[in-house]
Amino acid sequence: MKITTEDYIEYLENVAKRINENKDYITKLDATTGDGDHWVNMNMGFSKILDSKDELKNLSIKELLKKIGMIMMSTVGGSSGVLYGGAYINASKKLGDVDFLNEEGILILLEAISEAIMSRGKVEFGNKTMLDSLYPAVETYRQKLNEKVPYEKLLEAVENSSKDGMQETKNMEAIKGRASYRNDKGVGHLDPGAVTMYYQISELAKFLKIKI
Amino acid sequence: MKKIINNPNDVVKDMLKGMELTYGELKYTPELEVISRKEKTKKVGLVSGGGSGHEPAHAGYVGYGMLDAAVCGNVFASPSPDRILKGIEEADNGKGVLLIVKNYSGDIMNFEMAMDLCELDDDMIDMVIVRDDVAMEDSDFSTGRRGIAGTVFVHKIAGAMSQRGEDLAEVKRVAQKTIDNVRSMGMSMSACIIPAVGKAGFEIKDDEIEIGMGIHGEAGIYKKSLMNAKDLAFELVEKITNDFNYEDSDVALMINGLGATPLMELYIMSKEVIELLKSKNINIYKVFVGNFMTALEMAGCSVSLLKLDYELKSLLKDKCNTPAMKNME
Repeated sequence: MKITTEDYIEYLENVAKRINENKDYITKLDATTGDGDHWVNMNMGFSKILDSKDELKNLSIKELLKKIGMIMMSTVGGSSGVLYGGAYINASKKLGDVDFLNEEGILILLEAISEAIMSRGKVEFGNKTMLDSLYPAVETYRQKLNEKVPYEKLLEAVENSSKDGMQETKNMEAIKGRASYRNDKGVGHLDPGAVTMYYQISELAKFLKIKI
Repeated sequence: MKKIINNPNDVVKDMLKGMELTYGELKYTPELEVISRKEKTKKVGLVSGGGSGHEPAHAGYVGYGMLDAAVCGNVFASPSPDRILKGIEEADNGKGVLLIVKNYSGDIMNFEMAMDLCELDDDMIDMVIVRDDVAMEDSDFSTGRRGIAGTVFVHKIAGAMSQRGEDLAEVKRVAQKTIDNVRSMGMSMSACIIPAVGKAGFEIKDDEIEIGMGIHGEAGIYKKSLMNAKDLAFELVEKITNDFNYEDSDVALMINGLGATPLMELYIMSKEVIELLKSKNINIYKVFVGNFMTALEMAGCSVSLLKLDYELKSLLKDKCNTPAMKNME
């Protein structure tokens, strides 16, 4: 498998579409425990990435990931912006000068994103955040890759563990952000950040399947 | 939504442009949404910032004896690291820069990221985190106490120390001392509307008030039936004095309006709070009444108490001249 800059941009387009389609759902989720702007901010970030497509497609993978990070940081704003921004910048650093992403490259990318979110956000799995649909996906990916599970099966397992993680946030108590100020700590509600992260993992799995 | 605006997405930039045009001594950097002092100084630079919607915080405190730059995010959303970097650049006079940040996860992450990206030497940039809201328990595990109106005392005192020409460590020391000695408690009576959202995200019933609501409309600790000013003063002050011992101390008191509460009502609160503090043997050194840290058009108020020693009193008394706070003695 060889994922190039153009492929990665195509994947981001799919994510942008998925997020765009779920405006009302995400906004409603966020209005329940937050201030209802998560969709607006994420949509703004991904739209900006699409607007910059012509500029992005001439970049190396390393430059592309860094640029995505900078766009997310300044366009999405708030907590999500700095977390995704820092995550992509870290991925750019960790991958270094590669011509394309293969199966191992995707693992480095996912690990770098997960690591950066944990350290910048000072969160762990189970804190009712975007990490909860990412962390299990990364763990599954690493494990299945080590076990040399066929890649298509691996991707299915990754998608499933991300989905489970997202759904699990319903039972979790928030310790960071606005939901943590509620008496119920948001229990009973999905975390909108975990949902939009799940969209990204789910689209990645779908996209990579086509590229095997 | 009934607001004096042009485009709901342009409220922050239109406001900041308006501030620049209003106050000749302020400089506005468009796109990066930074308000800074036009004239460069030779002192430790002070930067604060956060989401917009809390005016006059923080841009209104830029000027002599207080801040050097204020970095503005979108309404109720943290500014991004690139904006904060610009604020640091504007405030930097080669003597070091102190960031004064309110304790919200978004603000902390963005300011920390800006510190990581900033090219100043590690000993030339530092940060303090204000967490004065006693509505919630403090905690090392969760985000913990929020920063609210008490932050303005930190701007005043750190600003005075910096204006005296002291170094970064000294400025940070008095900023931290202020943070350690200030507590606040607020209440709300009505919701507020984020312009880009267009409608209120929550509701407070006509005959209800919410004790401990945050300055972004975060749910309070409990709802109560509307009560008179005397009982309300008791409710808020009790929560503060149970958290920190002010007895027989000199204090600065701030009665802060959240945006839609008239000064008449704030002075009524002031009367009730001052009488109550006197009965508790708390000596009032200086009182501030007004809209210092608001939540758009939310009705309600907060009470902040800062315990003063000789040093803090003297710094509080120093001259300052900013759009939202002036002290000319």
